Order: sequence, then structure tokens, then C-alpha cells
Amino acid sequence: MIDRMRNRPAEEQAPVADRQRLAALERITDATLSALSIDRLLRELLQRISEILNSDTAAILLLDETGRMLHARAAKGIEEEVEQGVKIPVGRGFAGRIAAERRAITIDDVDHADILNPILREKGIRSLLGVPLLVEQRVLGVLHVGSLVPRSFTTGEAALLQLAADRAAIAIEHATLYQQRQLAEALQRRLLPSDLSGTGGLQLASRYLPASGESLGGDWYDAFAIAGGQVVVAIGDVVGHGIPAAAVMAQLRTALRAYAVEGHAPGEVLELVNRLMTGVGPRAMTTLAYAVIDSERASLELVVAGHPPPLLISPTGEPSFLEAAAGMPLGVSELARYEAHTFAFEHGATLLLYTDGLVETRSEPIDAGLDRLRTLAAGNGGVEALCAKVVSRLVPEERHDDVALLAVRVEPAPEQLSGRWPAERSVLADVRQLLRRWLESRGATSDEVYDIVVACQEACANAIEHAYRPGQHWFELDAAADGGRVRVTVRDQGRWRPPRGMHRGRGVMMMRGLMDSVDIEHTDEGTIVVLERTLERQTA
Amino acid sequence: MSLLARVVEEQRDDIAIAAIEGEIDASNAYEVGERLRALLTNRSTALVVDLTGTTYLDSAGINLLFELAGELTDRQQRLRLVVPASTPVLRMLTIAGLTGTVPTHETRATALARRA
Repeated sequence: MIDRMRNRPAEEQAPVADRQRLAALERITDATLSALSIDRLLRELLQRISEILNSDTAAILLLDETGRMLHARAAKGIEEEVEQGVKIPVGRGFAGRIAAERRAITIDDVDHADILNPILREKGIRSLLGVPLLVEQRVLGVLHVGSLVPRSFTTGEAALLQLAADRAAIAIEHATLYQQRQLAEALQRRLLPSDLSGTGGLQLASRYLPASGESLGGDWYDAFAIAGGQVVVAIGDVVGHGIPAAAVMAQLRTALRAYAVEGHAPGEVLELVNRLMTGVGPRAMTTLAYAVIDSERASLELVVAGHPPPLLISPTGEPSFLEAAAGMPLGVSELARYEAHTFAFEHGATLLLYTDGLVETRSEPIDAGLDRLRTLAAGNGGVEALCAKVVSRLVPEERHDDVALLAVRVEPAPEQLSGRWPAERSVLADVRQLLRRWLESRGATSDEVYDIVVACQEACANAIEHAYRPGQHWFELDAAADGGRVRVTVRDQGRWRPPRGMHRGRGVMMMRGLMDSVDIEHTDEGTIVVLERTLERQTA
Repeated sequence: MSLLARVVEEQRDDIAIAAIEGEIDASNAYEVGERLRALLTNRSTALVVDLTGTTYLDSAGINLLFELAGELTDRQQRLRLVVPASTPVLRMLTIAGLTGTVPTHETRATALARRA
């Protein structure tokens, strides 16, 4: 088509050339290109620019991360460039000079020029035009076209090629940033606990809001149960950004979990993690707030390493910061010592852990941010509502730092307990926690709590064992107290299996030994176990 | 091992000692059992299971102890338990009738002293 236009009479050529130039511009700046993947977009751009400039070859080379070498990324007519992974040092050869000098270069005759890439010669290319790929004065790479017949590229053609290069540069920049961010975000997402339920009957809610732009930070949090029905909640901020920070966070989180599960005391856990970081690495500074919640004792132990103070909201909705003497951030000195402080954590109270992105802005001191958070967190609307409120009021759309939040609350025990669980052994511990708290709130002594919990667990364990047929199974537990008499009902949909083996009847025996009355009813729909016991000390 | 319990192991001469810290229920009784069984060698004359740090025990754990007691007897070895007095765990063992079958000591020292 271009050739045909070239052959038009001279008087028609000017307007046609203008129209042609306009059409070419439209083809290069075509917005629909943005919808393509980066590889297809580059291929399509090379195709179009080859057609527009009537060139035989076109290629895009990108700078590698060292900034010293160009790698062939996409090519048309000289596909071998990409296949063979051609590399050109910056400053040398045709492409290398374009990158170094940041300007268009034309070569009318390759025989008289310094060409490094053997493929260009082998292909029989006679003339070349190349321009730099620039984004905000940064060189990303080089775009060049070649002709198999000797030819002098004009400045107009160079301008068109530069336009295509600008278009490609923006697309490459976006794609690269997007990929990096996707990767870092995916990494971060995998590292954040996806399921915070099942942590000892506590209510948990969390938010992670990555920083705007390319600088994804190193904020993280974690929540997990350890022996004795305690729950660890932790939040931290790894100094640094992107994939390196996410990688440190991964190692840190694993180390923290490992030491915590091993049964080390809170201060010790931080000292061990710190020693690991300053010793074998990862050597990166990290702030951390680490709390071990014991909901049965209604207390929490807190250790802080250079992290802003967690906020405690009382059952009546009054917020106050937990002022624990903070140790230095992790990863700074192997001599750092960390001390745990114990605070009351009543049923109905909420603990809010957060990272500094929430309270620090560039324009004001951190105290102002802390004050704002405390004022805002007043009230008692549940953990999800708290996180939603804090994020909507305190976190700007455009933020220069990550923000992470973790809110945890011990539910006040309800009058009646009622729940449904999947028929899996792993839920037993959760059911136990819930029952213990409920029984305590009904005024049961610690021995009574223990006995009734064991009896109920026997009933639940039976229900789980009955769920032997394929498919989804569940069981339900209801507990109510009438005067001083506690009645617990456990229902399942399973068929009763007669006790097998010498130990199978022991669960029922335990129930009978621990409760005043035990009724087991088998129906076609399932089994219902009703357990009753009168408490010594009656709740008024 | 699940997070509910940890087993702290020790070998003293020909006696294997395992302290179970945390909770044993139907979800981890099997794993705990495997840990305890792995402690026994041909040289072992006894296994001392220290339940001082056990905060929860129901029929799943009790069944395990009964089974272990049987297995050890078959191999001419003995199971001994350490359970402090007036604890809920001791009450459970008593209700289940385990204390009548397996020697139960209030402290580890007395459990180890009885080298019969």
C-alpha cells in the first residue's frame, strides 16, 4: 500500500504523505493496543512500524537490570535475534551507541559502520535506523528498523520511529512494574494468613493495603494457635520494599512461628528471631509487635521491638495504647533484649495491632496520628467494623507506605452457646475453647469446667466418628444453663455405629462418669446426645 | 505434630521418659502415640509418661494409654505414669479405671525411683 502511494504523481504526494503520516500516527498510538499482553503489543508495534516505514526488519532490545547490556526482546524479520538471545553492550555497536547517546542514529551503509550483531550482517541488511526507548529520561532499550536495500532514513521517519518507541517504552514500563508488583503482592498474599478463623474462638479481622505505586512495602501480620489454647498475634514492618522485603518477611514469619510453637516465652521468641537475623540472616531491620493472648486467663503478654504501641479497646469501648517498654527493632544488634509485659485482656475487649503507615504521614508528627487513631477507635462494634472504620478514615487513597491492621477480640460469652461444625477432629480444640469460656461465664468451677468439657468432647468425638459415610458431615452443639443446671445437646446426622474394639465404649463411660445424666437417642436422621449436670455454685 | 501438644523426650539409662505438654484429644492422640512408641528401644525396661504438663485429656488419650500399657506388657516392658495429685487429669484416669491398671506416681522422681 505504501509502495502504491509512493508511485503517485508528485503533486498529489504532499497531502497524501500528510494523510499517510496521520494514519501512521493513529496506528502507532492506537489505544486498543493497550489491551494486548506486552509480548503481543511489542510484536504488533513492530509489525505496524515495519509496514509504515516499509522496512524489512524491526527489533526491540531492552536493558538488563545491570543497565550495561541490551537483550533482544522482540523482533520482526530478524526473529533469530530473540531466539539466539542476542546481547549488545551499552556504548558499543549500533544499538549500544543509541542507548549510550540517547539519540536516534541512522546508518546508510552497514559496510562502513561498527556493527556488533552478526545477525544483521548475515541477513544482508544494508541500512539501519534506531531510536532509544525512553521513560522519564531513563533509557529502557532501543528500537531499530533495517532495510535490505540501501536507503537513507529521513528525519521524518526517525520521528515516527521515535513515536513508536515512546509508545513501546510506556507499555514496557507498565508491564514491568505491573509484573514486579504482581509478584510481590502474590508473595505477600501467600505469606499473610488467609484464614484467621480457628484461632481459639477469637474474633479476628485484618487488612493489608499495599503502598501506592511501585513501592510495595514489607508489612506483614500473622495469627496462629499455640499449645495450651493460647493464640499468637503479631504484626511487623520489614524495612525495604518489593520482593526483597517480602522474602525477608517470609523467613521471619517462619522463624517466629517455629520458636513460638516450640514453647518459648514471648521475650525469648523475639531474642531468638533477632539472633537468627543478626547471625545467619536475613539481615534486615524489622519492627514487630508480638502478643500472646490467653483468653482463659483474660490476659495477654506483649513484646514490642521498635514498633508503634498496640491499641487496647476496653469492653466498654475506651481505647488506650499499651505502653510496653519497646526493645530495639529486630536485626539491629545481637545484644538486643526483649521483655514481655502482661496486660489484662478481658472478654469483650479488642486489641488492635497496626503498622506505622496508619499513623505516620509526611506532614505531621506521629503523635498526631496516634491521637487520631485512639479517638477513632473508641466504641465497640466488632473487629470487622473497627478495621473498616480505621481504613476508611485514616488510610489515604494515595499512600507512600504499606498499611497493615490486625484486630482481635475475645467474644463475651453468650447466654446460650450454639454452633455447627464440620465433622472433623481438628475442630475439637475450638469447640473446647468455646465451651470452657461459656462454662466459666456460667459460674462453673474449674473442675466442673473440665468434667463437662470432657463429656461434651466425648459426644462430639462420637459424632465425628459417626460421620463415616461419604459426603459433607457436620455436628451441632447447643449449651444452655437453667438455674444451676447445665444442659448440652450434641446432634449429628450420622448412623450410630455399635462400639467396636475394646476401647470404643470408653467415651460413653466417661460421659456417664462425669455428668448427672446422659441420654443418647438414635434416630434415622442421626444421633442426639443430651448431657446434664448441676453446678455446685449457682449463678444467681 | 499438631500445635495442641508437644512431647519432651528424655532417655535415662534403660528408661524412656516422655513429658506431654498441652492437650491430647482425638485429633492428635495418634501422633502422640507414635511419638511415644518411637521412644522405646529393645533396651528399654519402662516408659514413663509424665502428664504433669498435660492440660487436657479425654478418652482419646486414655485409650492410647491403655493400648500402650498392653503393648508394653506384651514386650515385658512397663508403663508408668506421672500425674500430680488432685488434678483433673488424675480424675479422668481414675474414672476410666486406668489408675488401677497402670502404676501412677505423683512426681517423676518417685516414678524413676521405682526401678522394679
